[in-house]
Amino acid sequence: MTAVDHRPGPTDQREPSGKAPTGLAVWFRDLVMGMRFAVGSGREGWTRTALTAVGVGLGVALLLGASSVPSLLNNRSERSNARTIEFGEQKAPRSDSSFLFHRVGSQFRGESVDGILLRPEGGHPVLPPGVDKVPGPGEAVVSPALKKLLESPDGKLLHDRLPYRVVGTIGQAGLIGPSEHYYYAGSDKLSLKDSGTNRATAYGWRIQSPDMDPVLLVLILVGCVVLLMPVAIFIATAVRFGGERRDRRLAALRLVGADNHMARRIAAGEALLGSLFGLIVGAGLFLFGRQFIGAVDISSLNAFPTDLSPVPALAVLILLAVPASAVAVTLFALRGIAIEPLGVVRSAVPRRRRLWWRLPIPVIGLALLAAFGTVDRKTGSVNTYLIGAGAVLTLLGLTMLLPWLVEAVVARFTGGPVPWQLAARRLQLSSSSAARAVSGITVAVAGAIALQMLFTAVGDDFTKPTGQDTSRAQLQVMLPARDGATTEKMIDAFKDTKGVSGVIATISSRILSAGQERNEDGFPLSTSLTVGSCETLQEIARPGPCKDGDVFQIKGGPGSYVDEDLPKIARPGARALLNDFDDKGNVLGRPSTWTLPRTIRPVDARPDPTGEQNTGLFATTGAVDVKKLADPTARAMVRLDPSVPDAAEYARNTAARFDVTANAFQLMDTSDDRRFVSVRNGLLIASVATMTLIAASMLVTTLEQLRERRRLLSVLVAFGTRRGTLAWSVLWQTAVPMALGLALAVAGGLGLGRVLLGLTGKSGIAWSVVWPLPLFGAGLVLLVTLLSMPPLWRMMRADGLRSE
Amino acid sequence: MTPAGSLLAAEGLHKAFGRTTALDGVDFSIHPGEVVAVLGPSGSGKSTLLHCLAGIVLPDSGTVRYGDHDVTGMNDAQRSALRRSDFGFVFQFGQLVPELTCLENVALPLRLNGVKRKEAQRHAREWLERLEVEDTAGSRPGEVSGGQGQRVAVARALAARPRVIFADEPTGALDSLNGERVMTLLTDAARDTNAAVVLVTHEARVAAYSDREIVVRDGKVKDMLAGLL
Repeated sequence: MTAVDHRPGPTDQREPSGKAPTGLAVWFRDLVMGMRFAVGSGREGWTRTALTAVGVGLGVALLLGASSVPSLLNNRSERSNARTIEFGEQKAPRSDSSFLFHRVGSQFRGESVDGILLRPEGGHPVLPPGVDKVPGPGEAVVSPALKKLLESPDGKLLHDRLPYRVVGTIGQAGLIGPSEHYYYAGSDKLSLKDSGTNRATAYGWRIQSPDMDPVLLVLILVGCVVLLMPVAIFIATAVRFGGERRDRRLAALRLVGADNHMARRIAAGEALLGSLFGLIVGAGLFLFGRQFIGAVDISSLNAFPTDLSPVPALAVLILLAVPASAVAVTLFALRGIAIEPLGVVRSAVPRRRRLWWRLPIPVIGLALLAAFGTVDRKTGSVNTYLIGAGAVLTLLGLTMLLPWLVEAVVARFTGGPVPWQLAARRLQLSSSSAARAVSGITVAVAGAIALQMLFTAVGDDFTKPTGQDTSRAQLQVMLPARDGATTEKMIDAFKDTKGVSGVIATISSRILSAGQERNEDGFPLSTSLTVGSCETLQEIARPGPCKDGDVFQIKGGPGSYVDEDLPKIARPGARALLNDFDDKGNVLGRPSTWTLPRTIRPVDARPDPTGEQNTGLFATTGAVDVKKLADPTARAMVRLDPSVPDAAEYARNTAARFDVTANAFQLMDTSDDRRFVSVRNGLLIASVATMTLIAASMLVTTLEQLRERRRLLSVLVAFGTRRGTLAWSVLWQTAVPMALGLALAVAGGLGLGRVLLGLTGKSGIAWSVVWPLPLFGAGLVLLVTLLSMPPLWRMMRADGLRSE
Repeated sequence: MTPAGSLLAAEGLHKAFGRTTALDGVDFSIHPGEVVAVLGPSGSGKSTLLHCLAGIVLPDSGTVRYGDHDVTGMNDAQRSALRRSDFGFVFQFGQLVPELTCLENVALPLRLNGVKRKEAQRHAREWLERLEVEDTAGSRPGEVSGGQGQRVAVARALAARPRVIFADEPTGALDSLNGERVMTLLTDAARDTNAAVVLVTHEARVAAYSDREIVVRDGKVKDMLAGLL
């Protein structure tokens, strides 16, 4: 029958059965048709859809994780506030629900172990959050992590310091994170007379967070851009999986009458289904992955699974944006392709990529940052949107420049061995997919370089020298010494502790002038008295000759505290009282007189290992009876033997044996701003997640490209091509765009970093933080290539021809 | 036992894919310079026989001997080396490497055998001239017609001077005029180089270029010359 031999049948199929759909209905019809094709083309279609779904799913999981950060921080903060005890209520009346408490802080192998000692004052004390029953004396309720630690072989050492019977565990409501080592212990010895012990009637304190430093805001902002852009790029790459086979299918559709627009919408429909499955896979991965979030603990930054709940508005945005992006990306990708009906898809005459519209994007981004990005640390103002937009444009511009750069460079490749030739020719023919595959890591490395430059430059602002000298001592222990004898015992105990190579021990108290003279506040003249050995004196002053029985007047250096009472008390042969006084200035207890020796002489202070400049009187142990000191405090600065493992823990245990409230803290040369550390650690965690995604995405992309070339691989193997030849070819195909991408990343990262440094008033490039990042990227490529070898090996079978 | 003077011989080949038997006790032999057509309907096992003979797939049982070598006893690397050095292939759709130019495609088997690039390309150019497609040398496979592409594929199969050429439906995607030209060039070149050709086809007019025909049906072979099943 010819085209003109139309014979009307029982139902004439050429008559339109209804009104043709228009507008949105056309879109809907074509998208649905594409979705049907995605699953209706057998195993091949399912495989392609599954790969897209996995790719999109990985990205969606990460986006859901990122969208959970606000609620995660909020939940942690709320639980922290809920268990905080408001103090300053020492004078609050004792009641049925009141309790005394004393905070105890310690460390175990670098991890914080914090607790609160409780002593209920009535029959119905308020309960801490997450606790069912206030522990009795000698009992403790502990966090699950602490319980696990105490029950482990390693925990025995810690148990010596926390000799409590564990009677329960603290629930989630009472813990900031699951890895936290926290406890409440009962005590019948707490007294309001003890320093650090207070009365409270409730838990919960709304702490007003201080405003964020603007530089930290910039770091967070750029960090979010750097970490989330590769995710977006990967999602855009994943929805283009299976392009070649899909194009052949679209050509067939054109043959039966679909127009070009329709064919593109159908292609978008296929990608749409993949992205919808990707949302499901992503949600599944997110829900599955968050079960293990509790196991992630970087510098005490950890959270419960339920903390990781996406902010609803952001979750909805992800739900809408991902499928919409899939459609948009597919339509964009097909814009330069003419789908023709005769069984093949001929790309429109390949046009050389143009630099003129690509280069301005990062340039505008950098210009935007340089011209309008403002960070005023005095007022705290940050031009958030402009900085965000500038960073996005700069990094997006790099992904736009990369395909041009790859094309321009590989066009010059000629010759070389077979693997190189296969790779070079492949890249010359189609470099876009290779460039797409590495654009994510290009952005990540460029952003990481910029961030690291910024972190390094501003790090000094957030890291302050403490003035502590860790070469002289590594641990300081403060003890409320109830009497001098006990204190002496304690010092001896430290000296005998395993791993302790030296102790700088002092006993401090105050002494009063025996005269009637009062200061301008109406209190007796007083000064501090520090008692120790001549060796100890060498650590806190520059005494010259010293023998037991000597007394010195330590003068503070420039800028140190000026003790105006000291010269009036520290006179040779003067009498002083070893007593304290109350808040009305009345001398407490029976006057205990001490006569200062006539040999007393002034000496200059020397900063002790904690950086403190001691002033006042220093008496050697033979000069004063420490048993007579009023309310003395013992301080031991402990020097540890680095060759003894857990030396610090032994020292802390010694301190705890004398007093569970003993405060032992590590001396450190520098101290980091807590928020700076939090931002740094948060970005570190996010970087690990993004890099993992990038590695996964590169692997999936490589596998997808191999899958598309399976037939060709079989042919090549059929006529005897060595597997090594093909493996090297695959490596070169990845390595060449990667090298170019990393070069671009270094240039772009340095540019972005320089501009960001300029915003914060900093300058200089720390090359030591720049060069490891491209190396890391190169290592990632190598890893991905190695991981893609087993499937490549399987595909390189000549019997793959059978599938023809 | 290998028929006397044969270059490639198979005996008692059995091959099944799942429950489907592709070859069921097939014997085959071919002599140097001989062109043997393997005929049969779709799904009869023609291509499987070709793949077994070429060492692309291993039979479940039976042996394939190439000269003094037991192909079925070789490992994958040895069979690859054999295909690289002694066998040539032409497939229905040419299966040229799309990113390489036609000249580079023809030079590829030589380069895989370790021949220097310039020498391989000089040699390849000669074969393109012989197959009358020298003007395609700088073009990529996607830029030439189907007939030209298939001639380039024949040139590639012959370039390394193989002793056996396996041609699987070499004219299946061509019109009759192009098909005949390709067959003429292929068989003439093979005879000139004394190469044996195993020609899988389902077209009688293509089989007409052969010296001998065998028919594969339901995994069994009938030698038309011998008239034996």
